[in-house]
Amino acid sequence: MHGLLETLQFVYAPQVVNGLSIGVAVILMALGLTILFGLLDVINMAHGEFYALGAYLAVSLLAAGVDFWLCLLVVPLLMLPLGYVTERLLIQRVFNRKDRHVLTLLLTFGLGIVLEDAYRIVFGPNTVRVDSPISGAANVLGMYFPNYRLFVMGVGALIIALVWVVVFRTRLGAMVRAAAHDRQMASSLGVPVSRVYSGTFAFGVALAGLAGVLLAPIYSVFPTMGKDFILLAFTVVIVGGMGSIKGAVIAGLVLMQIQALASLYISPVWTEPLLFGVMVLVLMWRPQGLFGKLGNG
Amino acid sequence: MKRKSVATAAAGIATLAVALATSTPAMGQGNPIRIGVDTPISGTYAPIGQQVKWGLELATKEINAAGGVMGRPLQLIYEDGEANPAVATQKAEKLFQVDKVDFLTGTVNSGATLAVGQVAERNHRLMATTVSFADSITGDKCSPNVYRVNAKAGQQSAALAAWLAKAKPKARVFFLGPDYEMGRSTVAAFKAAAEQKGATTVGEVFAPLGNKDYSPFFGQIRAARPDVLYTSVAGNDTVRLFTQLDEFGLLKNLQVVGASGTVTSQNMGAIEKAAEGFVTGVGYSPEIDTPANHKFVAAFRAAYKTPPDLYGADSYGVLYFYKAAVEKAGSTDTDKVRAAMADLVWATPQGSKTMRAGDHQAMQVMYTVKFTHGEFKIISEVPAAEAIGPDDCKRF
Repeated sequence: MHGLLETLQFVYAPQVVNGLSIGVAVILMALGLTILFGLLDVINMAHGEFYALGAYLAVSLLAAGVDFWLCLLVVPLLMLPLGYVTERLLIQRVFNRKDRHVLTLLLTFGLGIVLEDAYRIVFGPNTVRVDSPISGAANVLGMYFPNYRLFVMGVGALIIALVWVVVFRTRLGAMVRAAAHDRQMASSLGVPVSRVYSGTFAFGVALAGLAGVLLAPIYSVFPTMGKDFILLAFTVVIVGGMGSIKGAVIAGLVLMQIQALASLYISPVWTEPLLFGVMVLVLMWRPQGLFGKLGNG
Repeated sequence: MKRKSVATAAAGIATLAVALATSTPAMGQGNPIRIGVDTPISGTYAPIGQQVKWGLELATKEINAAGGVMGRPLQLIYEDGEANPAVATQKAEKLFQVDKVDFLTGTVNSGATLAVGQVAERNHRLMATTVSFADSITGDKCSPNVYRVNAKAGQQSAALAAWLAKAKPKARVFFLGPDYEMGRSTVAAFKAAAEQKGATTVGEVFAPLGNKDYSPFFGQIRAARPDVLYTSVAGNDTVRLFTQLDEFGLLKNLQVVGASGTVTSQNMGAIEKAAEGFVTGVGYSPEIDTPANHKFVAAFRAAYKTPPDLYGADSYGVLYFYKAAVEKAGSTDTDKVRAAMADLVWATPQGSKTMRAGDHQAMQVMYTVKFTHGEFKIISEVPAAEAIGPDDCKRF
């Protein structure tokens, strides 16, 4: 009755495109996590709450009459000093201890809980809707897709490329990588290691905030929103390899395609256990992840 | 802990003293009758809780101005039950134990109504829901202490299925419900009613309550090629689902029907275009053309600058139900009031309702309504006896 071609066009293609758009969103979150782990050796459990902070800052700025497009620029800039101070006041205190992984994990986990409750007190427990700055839908080959999601896909891909360029193709990125690779040597060669660490943390936090602004019109804004993406983002980072940017991108795209296509046959609710299952398998057979180098971020 | 409860009691006494001191002679002489309102003031069902609050407040104002219930004024005591049974039960326990309420209402989430019903049983007090749809509340999970004054899922789907069989005979129907008691039971109820009238089920899927992105669910809808989509999401979930259905171009050639709580006056403003043509079975519409309803709608609009929806109307009606029962019993004693509530007939904005003694479910005329140009228009009517269905309650 319905040809194979038609099924491909109307059933599979929209699902694949949708998987791509969710993939870009998850990669944006995973990117900050993997950079902080790869370069700073810090597992940032409060990453989701920084993402929520970005969204709430955007909500406040929009309410004050600031244009959405300006928010995309202003919010990450506001997040930079915040991340810098957080690193200086909290992370630095435990960074040089022997059990750094456990301490930073617990510290940021606690920070996340405090932040989430703070949002509840300051902004109230209810969901805030953010109007989409681009309305309407595009008709691509007979397949409808919301314009704003197409925009997020494009901008997301651009941000991912920019981050890669900054880390691997600029002098600043080289300094950061040097500081991460051998702290003493970098320091003796004149790299201001402590400030580079704070700056990198601030960069990761700003990235989370930017993701918060970009995704607010799609997912709405609420105090526990950080929890929604953080599990998926951690899964992507673990499967891709802790600390690997390439790994995060590839794992993000692959995992979200698995989710999108599986959603055609099982309830979408059950696709998350499926992804966590993949993560468990990766941890069992290749604990360093697809592209990770264990022991050296 | 002890000091806290003493403090709460002291605060309660102070509130009572102030309430008594400020009560006007018209409000009656005796102690107030305390009505506990355990309703979502925050969370995804906050808009529903708002209508509940307005309906109860309007009825309280009217009843107290007319001399109260047996000369005693009504007093509403609110607690935020959120959309969460665990929170709602704690708040119900507090209302019964600390505030000593005589009667409890306001629960929205069907899971919360079932759980709070058990709390009411343990405290030997009565409660009524004005919102919850799940058939089980007055079906296999019925309780001698729990009443429902609003129409259940089964009554709504009976009306909707009757309309669908005429408007779209032999329709291919896809079901999308929220994944908890109400969602599962509304889908099951409409599925049974529609299949009996010749419709085919082409798929069903359940999304978590408060789901943010429905687009992953659309693949199954596209693959199933339905003529009709039935959904029972509510509150802010409706806004997201309908907006996304529209954005992803799924609304073309698709008739969307649903539960009466899906599109209400609280969320229709945000989805006017996407919800155009939506049809549902309801127990109440502000459009009902009777003098009692015109009067109620006018008073509600004057007080709150917005029309009542089914939740506001049924929450308004529940206090008249309780008033009629207490006056018939001549007491607020639980057993006497329960006896008085058996087959009680009372007046509501949507006409007279009868509380069926066998399962504590109110019987009433049902309507199907269509959302056209930002308003629900009544398109058909089903008599009370035809929509009520069998009594499945075996506990009392």
